[in-house]
Amino acid sequence: MTPPPRGTLRRAVALLEVDRRRAVQAVVLGTLALGCAVALAAVAAWLIARASQMPPVLTLSVATVAVRAFGIGRGVLRYCERLVSHDVALRGMTTLRTTLYSRLASGQPGAVLGVRRGDLLARVGADVDAVGDVVVRGLLPGAVAAVLGVATVAAMSLIWLPAGLALAGCLLLAGVVAPTLAAAGARTTQARATDGRARATASALGILDDAGPLAVAGRTATELEALRAADREVAAATDAGAPTAALAAGIGQVAVGLAVLAALLTGVPAVVSGQLSAVGLAVVVLTPLAAFEATSLLPAAAVQVRRSRAAAARILALLDAAGPSAAPRPAGAAGRAHLTARDLDCGWPGAPRVVRDLDLDVSPGRAIAVVGPSGTGKTTLLLTLAGLLPRRGGELELDGTDVEDLARPADAVVHVAEDGHVFGTSVLENLRVARGDVTPDEATQALADVGLDAWLAAQPDGLETLLGPDGRTLSGGERRRLLLARGLLSPAPLLLVDEPAEHLDPATADAVVRSLLTRYRHRGVVVVTHRLSPLADADEVVRLDGGRVAARGTHADLVERVARYREDLAEESREDA
Amino acid sequence: MRPLDPRLLRHARAARGYVALTASLGILTAALVVAQALLLAHALGRAVHDGADLEAIGPLVAWLAVVVALRALATAAQERFAHRAATRAVAELREGVVAHAAALGPRWLATGEGPGVATLATRGLDALEPYFVRYLPQLVLAATVTPATLLVILGLDWVSAAILVAVLPLVPIFMWLVGRLTQGRSEQGLATMRRLGAQTLDLLAGLPTLRAFGRERGPAARVQALGDAHRRATMGTLRIAFLSGMVLELLTTLSVALVAVGIGLRLVEGDLDLVTGLAVLVLAPEVFNPLRQVGAQFHASSDGVAAAEQAFAVLETPVTADGTRPAPDLAGVTVRLRGVTVTTAAGRTPDGLDLDVRPGRVVALAGPTGGGKSTTVEVVLGLLVPDEGTVELVAPAGPIPLADVERAGYWSQVAWLPQRPVLEPGSVQEVVGGADDAARARAAALTGLDAVLADLPDGWQTAVGHLSVGQRQRVALTRALLSPAPLVVLDEPTAHLDAAGERVVLDTVRALRAGGRTVLLVAHRASLLAAADEVVMVAPVRTEALR
Repeated sequence: MTPPPRGTLRRAVALLEVDRRRAVQAVVLGTLALGCAVALAAVAAWLIARASQMPPVLTLSVATVAVRAFGIGRGVLRYCERLVSHDVALRGMTTLRTTLYSRLASGQPGAVLGVRRGDLLARVGADVDAVGDVVVRGLLPGAVAAVLGVATVAAMSLIWLPAGLALAGCLLLAGVVAPTLAAAGARTTQARATDGRARATASALGILDDAGPLAVAGRTATELEALRAADREVAAATDAGAPTAALAAGIGQVAVGLAVLAALLTGVPAVVSGQLSAVGLAVVVLTPLAAFEATSLLPAAAVQVRRSRAAAARILALLDAAGPSAAPRPAGAAGRAHLTARDLDCGWPGAPRVVRDLDLDVSPGRAIAVVGPSGTGKTTLLLTLAGLLPRRGGELELDGTDVEDLARPADAVVHVAEDGHVFGTSVLENLRVARGDVTPDEATQALADVGLDAWLAAQPDGLETLLGPDGRTLSGGERRRLLLARGLLSPAPLLLVDEPAEHLDPATADAVVRSLLTRYRHRGVVVVTHRLSPLADADEVVRLDGGRVAARGTHADLVERVARYREDLAEESREDA
Repeated sequence: MRPLDPRLLRHARAARGYVALTASLGILTAALVVAQALLLAHALGRAVHDGADLEAIGPLVAWLAVVVALRALATAAQERFAHRAATRAVAELREGVVAHAAALGPRWLATGEGPGVATLATRGLDALEPYFVRYLPQLVLAATVTPATLLVILGLDWVSAAILVAVLPLVPIFMWLVGRLTQGRSEQGLATMRRLGAQTLDLLAGLPTLRAFGRERGPAARVQALGDAHRRATMGTLRIAFLSGMVLELLTTLSVALVAVGIGLRLVEGDLDLVTGLAVLVLAPEVFNPLRQVGAQFHASSDGVAAAEQAFAVLETPVTADGTRPAPDLAGVTVRLRGVTVTTAAGRTPDGLDLDVRPGRVVALAGPTGGGKSTTVEVVLGLLVPDEGTVELVAPAGPIPLADVERAGYWSQVAWLPQRPVLEPGSVQEVVGGADDAARARAAALTGLDAVLADLPDGWQTAVGHLSVGQRQRVALTRALLSPAPLVVLDEPTAHLDAAGERVVLDTVRALRAGGRTVLLVAHRASLLAAADEVVMVAPVRTEALR
């Protein structure tokens, strides 16, 4: 793992657009709060030393009031500071989230498709929080410690310069050296533990996901041993970083004592020689005991900065992958919507091409079916045709304009993905994703077209029924058809539909595919499907195999010419019988 | 969980030594804190009051330096072993939870708290680190330094001790009071925060879909609005949550201030000497320091405590005991299910199933999706104990309840292909097994694995991890064919396969039967059902029908 480049955190923090006025307010409040504690110690020392000289009580009255005021001020000011600093951080996180969303929404399409994969999404949420945390737990405590340190040293130096200088040195030890060491310790541990942690996570998930098969295969013990080995590696990594962390903690502790000792050693002779008053000695010796509270937070702050920097690097990588916002370009004439592919190559960025040399003409009035064994690139082809993945070769034009030059190919081509997102809102709002002004009647009709009328009737609140996050309350088949209904409601003249029939029984599956091929033909349809029986209604069937067109023609044509197609069809009808 | 749960020591052995070390260091620290205060008070008091020079207080200063050094060493030792203990204790709990959860079986893992175990084992338990490294040491110090300093102050000046003792119980009382008053509001606030956070992530997750419809630009304002609502909800919660911190700081700082003023006034009257006054002044903040730290670390450690609670709950869920009778040779055994019912949220799946899997026969389970076919397989494999009915191995010597049979011995005679094949890491050749190359080649030709391997540059030496799901399925089929296990269980072996792939499965099933093996298969497709000697319909009674 290479460390993120310098300036990573600065770039990310700049994206928070922190309100300077509020940040300054937080630093001032924080400094005053901890300043109260330091002042309390100093004034109390003065009060007691002076009182022991038995002066008239009235001379002490200012000090007795001040001590009580500092006692109250500390708690109240700290409360205000915490509220202001958290407010600053939360505002920043909102700004960062909005920026992230906008940039992903308008940048390169590939970056956003990647977000769905794996735990990246959850990480984006956690990473934004981590960058925000650096304000509360890293930068503001650092600023408070710096301001308060300078103020305390200045005040001490006025009373007795050598004690002030010693305090400055000890504050640097506790506030700079100790945090640096703490961060170094954390870095050592993390660098060595990354592999072990990843393997421990993978092992644990593997055992839990496949508990039954592993037990029956007699492999549970082996897998648990692998988990233990990974954990041992993490433990060794912790041991490697711990001495540095221990040194940091020890230095933080020793700095306080050193400051006190230095004040004693330089102050006592000064009192004897008359350079320093006896009361002044009590103040310079006892104040350091309270002066290190701000710096004691800094080792943790340094570790937080490190952690946030890693999070910042991931967020910036995501933003960089999205690239600059695409400049608005003139949209093609959406009326005719003739999509032509010539020698088209498709594939995910950075992965091998899965589809090669494909020619295709899609226009309103034509219904095309794409079939072929699983894993042959049908889904990738649809994403490319929709302009959601950059093509890897050949030409792809909409009404004579290169699709990549179109600002909004979605105006003309809508893609109904297998894994389209169901939002955690009502059925109707989910359908309105396609078009903002879908009426309840249109919605009901579209759901009926995909065979969900019975399902809709069974819902307690009809179209207003709330769907769980990511449609978890829907079965696979219901979900697929809801996504299809949404596609049907979009105003785009061309429809690209990925596997509408999966998770459905054969009769329903064929009815859905057939209705797409006939009732929506005026829109221009490309449907990827594994069902062959309903394809008599398609104008053209393209059979892909191994990433290339293995056969194309009408259904009847393919049945007559292509033995493999005939076999598959026969197999399918045997199954259904 | 109590501040230090004895279950933690029971389940995480690494925690025991650490707690002992922390306790010793806590006692040492208490002694050092007191020593430091007294030495400092004497040295400073004599210098301020009597005008003593450096030579006169030299020994005191030297001892003070020793105490400072020892405190630094104690702090360093604490830190050194805290991280070590945290990592090891987390690892122990993780291993314990994973092993126990795996033993509880797939059904437990799929329902109730089961799915949460993955999060708990991978990320949740890591939250115990702040508990071990920050919270626990301060808790120990609160139990050592606080009483020690208080006792010393009592010995020095009972008036100051009285002020501190009066405030001390107020700390937990006020904390509890504020906690009580704020609990309802902050729980509500947390729920709002979670909901708003989830909605923002929902929009991010749906971005590809919004883009596909060309409607990706509008929701940016919604993300902003959700963020603002999130901030307002959070701040509402924090305003209350931070109150407890403020009360704590106010009480402790104010009482130290009152002690200082009291000492000052009595010094003026001549009722107290300076050394005592200074000692009490230095000790007074130390009484509260550990308490304040416990309060400050409480939130950071509470996630870890909650995770530990979950871990204990998993570890204390009883596991079905393993059987004691050796497994009979399955080649001569009928697996007999009578009246087997498993009750789930979906209904009774299956409901009162009778099934005989006789040796050498191919038995297919058919029926609607979600009807309990895979559940039946788990019952046959002994991974799930049915809610009603019996499962027996009918051997020539007589029937044995499956629950009484040693599972390892039973499983060693079973080859199971779940819907998603689980293969150990290694080369295809290692995973497939088999006596010799010829046997392997014959099996591979039957399962279509030979065609897969022909396209791969490393052939039989290809790592299994590099294969696609369909290819892995063929590896698993080949292995089942080559394994000597008398009972072969195939769960929907034709899922994800095209017509050609399906023919391969049919051929494999026929070959297995020809080899005299017993086959239990879950099948949807007619061709596969046709290849079976018997077809058993698994009929569920769904929840709606039960109502």
